[in-house]
Amino acid sequence: MFSYALKSLRANLTRLIATALAVILGIGFLASGLMLTDAMRSGLTGDVEEQYKNVDFAIIATAGSDQSGGMDFQLTVPASALATARSTPGVEAAAGEIQADARVLRADGTTVNLRSQGRSWIADSELNPLSLDEGSAPKGSAQVVLDRKLATEAGVSVGDTVSVQTPAGTKQFKVSGISSFGRQDALDDGGTISFSEETAVQVLNAGTPGFSDVLLRTSGDPATVQAALEEALPTSVAIQTGEQFVSDAAESASAFISILRPVLQGFAYLSMFVAAFVIFNTFSVVVTQRFRELALIRAVGGTPAQVRRSLIFEGMAIGVIASALGIVAGAVLAIGLQTLLRQFDMEIPGAGVKVSTYTVVLCMIIGVLVTTLSVIVPAFRAGRTKPVEAMRASAIDNSGSSPVRAVFGAIFLLGSVALLLANRFVGVQWFYLTFGALFLFIGLFIGGPLLARVFAILVRPVMGLFGMTGRLAADNAVRNPKRTATTANALVIGLFLVTLVTVSGEAMKTALVDQLSSASSPDFIISSEGAIDPKLVASINKTEGVTNIAAVKSSVAVESTGQSTFVAAASLDQLTKSAGLKVTAGSAEAVASGSGIAIPDFSNFGGGALSSPGSVASAGLGDSVSLRTVGGQDLILPVVAVYEGSLESFVGNVMNPETFKTVVGDKPVTRVFVRAEPGQADAVGQRLEKVLQGYTGVEVQPGNFIGQIVGSIFDFLIAAVNALLAMSVIVALVGIVNTMTLSIFERRRELGMVRALGMTRQQVGRMVRFEAVLIGLLGTLVGMGAGILLSWVVISSIADGAIDLSFNWARVGLIFLVGILVGVVASILPARRATRLNMLDAMSEA
Amino acid sequence: MSNAVQTNWAAQVHGAAKIYGSGENEVRALDHVTVGFEKGAFTAIMGPSGSGKSTLMQCAAGLDRLTAGTAFIGDVDITKLGEKALTLLRRDKVGFIFQQFNLLPTLTAQENITFPLDLAGRKPDADWMAHVVGTVGLADRLNHKPSELSGGQQQRVAVARALVEQPEIIFADEPTGNLDSTSSAEILSFMENAVREFGQTVVMVTHDPVAASHASRVLFLADGRIVDELMAPTRDSILDRMRNLGD
Repeated sequence: MFSYALKSLRANLTRLIATALAVILGIGFLASGLMLTDAMRSGLTGDVEEQYKNVDFAIIATAGSDQSGGMDFQLTVPASALATARSTPGVEAAAGEIQADARVLRADGTTVNLRSQGRSWIADSELNPLSLDEGSAPKGSAQVVLDRKLATEAGVSVGDTVSVQTPAGTKQFKVSGISSFGRQDALDDGGTISFSEETAVQVLNAGTPGFSDVLLRTSGDPATVQAALEEALPTSVAIQTGEQFVSDAAESASAFISILRPVLQGFAYLSMFVAAFVIFNTFSVVVTQRFRELALIRAVGGTPAQVRRSLIFEGMAIGVIASALGIVAGAVLAIGLQTLLRQFDMEIPGAGVKVSTYTVVLCMIIGVLVTTLSVIVPAFRAGRTKPVEAMRASAIDNSGSSPVRAVFGAIFLLGSVALLLANRFVGVQWFYLTFGALFLFIGLFIGGPLLARVFAILVRPVMGLFGMTGRLAADNAVRNPKRTATTANALVIGLFLVTLVTVSGEAMKTALVDQLSSASSPDFIISSEGAIDPKLVASINKTEGVTNIAAVKSSVAVESTGQSTFVAAASLDQLTKSAGLKVTAGSAEAVASGSGIAIPDFSNFGGGALSSPGSVASAGLGDSVSLRTVGGQDLILPVVAVYEGSLESFVGNVMNPETFKTVVGDKPVTRVFVRAEPGQADAVGQRLEKVLQGYTGVEVQPGNFIGQIVGSIFDFLIAAVNALLAMSVIVALVGIVNTMTLSIFERRRELGMVRALGMTRQQVGRMVRFEAVLIGLLGTLVGMGAGILLSWVVISSIADGAIDLSFNWARVGLIFLVGILVGVVASILPARRATRLNMLDAMSEA
Repeated sequence: MSNAVQTNWAAQVHGAAKIYGSGENEVRALDHVTVGFEKGAFTAIMGPSGSGKSTLMQCAAGLDRLTAGTAFIGDVDITKLGEKALTLLRRDKVGFIFQQFNLLPTLTAQENITFPLDLAGRKPDADWMAHVVGTVGLADRLNHKPSELSGGQQQRVAVARALVEQPEIIFADEPTGNLDSTSSAEILSFMENAVREFGQTVVMVTHDPVAASHASRVLFLADGRIVDELMAPTRDSILDRMRNLGD
């Protein structure tokens, strides 16, 4: 029977190409995602390993046991820790890392590379990831080393003078040497500018001594050295072994891949799920078409098991071939994607594609498994073929149109609607929602043929307006309601999710942005990842049209309970004037005089979630909080004020500069809130942009930027998810092409007859196109309907009625058009085939 | 050829040849046949399998194209018509009754009957429609789908479809081939009546002498040529001629 299976594969090759195409697409998406993320991960982690290969120990900053604060405040290792480490026995070399944006400017003031980084030059050549190719290390405050990449791009060599822009402003430096990173030209994507350690503190850290981490090279017994270090160093820092440090760094460098990979895989599996429908459908039709042939095999003595096995073998063979082709398609897709992104100047780390054994094995298993599972039901049906059916004239697949199925489908559909409506109107219950959604899916699959038939009854009068071709198309579309439903369901899945994501995403976005924009906020926020130079703060204050500013130093402090919390040094009075912050209890003067701290009131953001007993978050006016200082003591501070503000002006627990310094040490200003004269905001914004020129990493943003960012994040997420869901829509399109082609093959005698009776080729083509569009329309309406229903219910239950489902009709209309377009595109090939049919040949076939 | 266009012919072919293949594989399905089908006459075409009787019908009806020669429906030379014009001519001027797969399964009997008119966007004449439906005895079956009708009833729907558009000529290809004798007799008498009462022209391909005996004229084909002709045939006279042909 295997040789029969192979022969029939060859005989039905064109018909099975469509089946294979669904697998190829699904596996292709899966494989490309895996290959890309593999390449990216090895690119990123490989660099990190190279960068820190000679590090024996590293000193890192800690904020106590709990670091789940959320906002990513850069913790620093104090300069004293470096000095302590250097004097510890067994430490051969120690170097602090400092890193910030820095740019090389050309003579005309333009930037050589926007993504270049400034670093402190590590004197110890083994710890230094960079090696000196030419010249000498940077010395003093007027020398830099450029890496090969930047030097080449800027066209400079050793001895030249270049303008370098840093967070501290623009200065002239002499190029003392050229560096490289291993065999590569650059360590950082955009190139590296290295300063001497003292200069790095000045220009990259606004004069505040401190490092992102300290790298150590040691000799002797590692355990002894580690113990000595732990003994000597303060508790605000921790010691890590080199391996630990590298693996943490590699993990954080490739952290986004750990998120990206499952997301990409999730969408690929979804398109494989859709592909399963297409495969199932195609095989069902192929079995129906070969009914007589299969019956003949049974008549001449083939057992049901043999018939079954041969079909399953056929499915597996397609699975193997198509999965292999899918892996190749995936590699092509991944390379294509990289090239495409490069066109838009988006370099993704890791060049080329990485084909791992894991990827190949996984893709083969998934592809073969899905194909085999999809053909099992059609294969069993084929096995049940009765020998006598070889003698019958026609073979029409009437399964699945049973009244029992229709009744069950209707029960599930009505049940789900009832549960979902109950959730909306009776009261939010996860029971209603979960079972409502579950029943909806079951109902759509069982009730698919029923929905198809109801759909046909509804569209028939409308299609009748297009004349006989329209009416026939409506009838033909549901000749086999089960097949039509399965075909449409492939589209339903994709469009259901697109609608759900778009409609509920839009609703959440609108609600969130409205909420964020409701509180009063500063006119502008000037912020830096590193530091804002004191001179710059003064220039901002002097800028024409600026009425008030509040300069804020921020840090993470550790409470005596071990919990971390945000602290800031700023004047509450200035914050009130420039950021619209309101002191709701206590007094600003008490904070300014150093008698206590001010804590934020989060009640209008539903902020209770942050609290834990005895911590700042649960404190109120008159309570006291206990913070651990850099010196290692506990400092009790009474709460003397409570303030409210917008999310943008959130600065944490406010204290005066002296208290701040005691708690967390000296820190640079990282944020400046600006209030402009009324009506002058635009002009002031432009002036501020000008003032900031020459300072890297310092940005001016409108005061309510979080709302805008949240809005654009939502837009991006909705667009990205929809782009990924487009894969499943493409697979569904292939399914419609398949079903239509096979239906036409089945009906060729009938098509010959209507041509004889006087239907023109154009009319035949129109009829087929109408039919495909109707299947597309069915899938679109059902998918969108289910998506809108579920979005409406989910949104209202999350927000407890607070969010209205504000329809973006333009988007909903767009999804509808996409659905119709799928039908139109899918009809092209089948319509061509139908019109080219030879009338007499078609009619004379027995 | 202008003398060939005479108004008393509903359809005619001149020097009609249909040749498949070439050289040694050449098959002459029609070997330069010239024949006319008189208006208001019931003509039967008989002949053994492979004699070319179906090819003659298909070429005369505009379903297939001749290799050489000309074919007329009414006074239109259909060998000069393009694909679309020929389709429209079939739709408007020619009625068809096939052996099987005559009806569209999704349409009711009524919709099947008016199918060619619907394609043309024309409305059937209500009185004529009622008359035709009454004649073939389908008045109470009009809303049934083909699957709910017997084989004989299905062929009656096909006959009604051919009659309702009052075509120039009706071509019937073995219309009784799949029917029992009672249903066959019914269908044949409907066609006979249509010729006698409505002056309809009918050309029928058959291998059944009983069916052919309903015609007013029988043409005998063998090897792509007309070899004999019989007017006012009976079953016995047809069988007699067939024996002479050595069938």
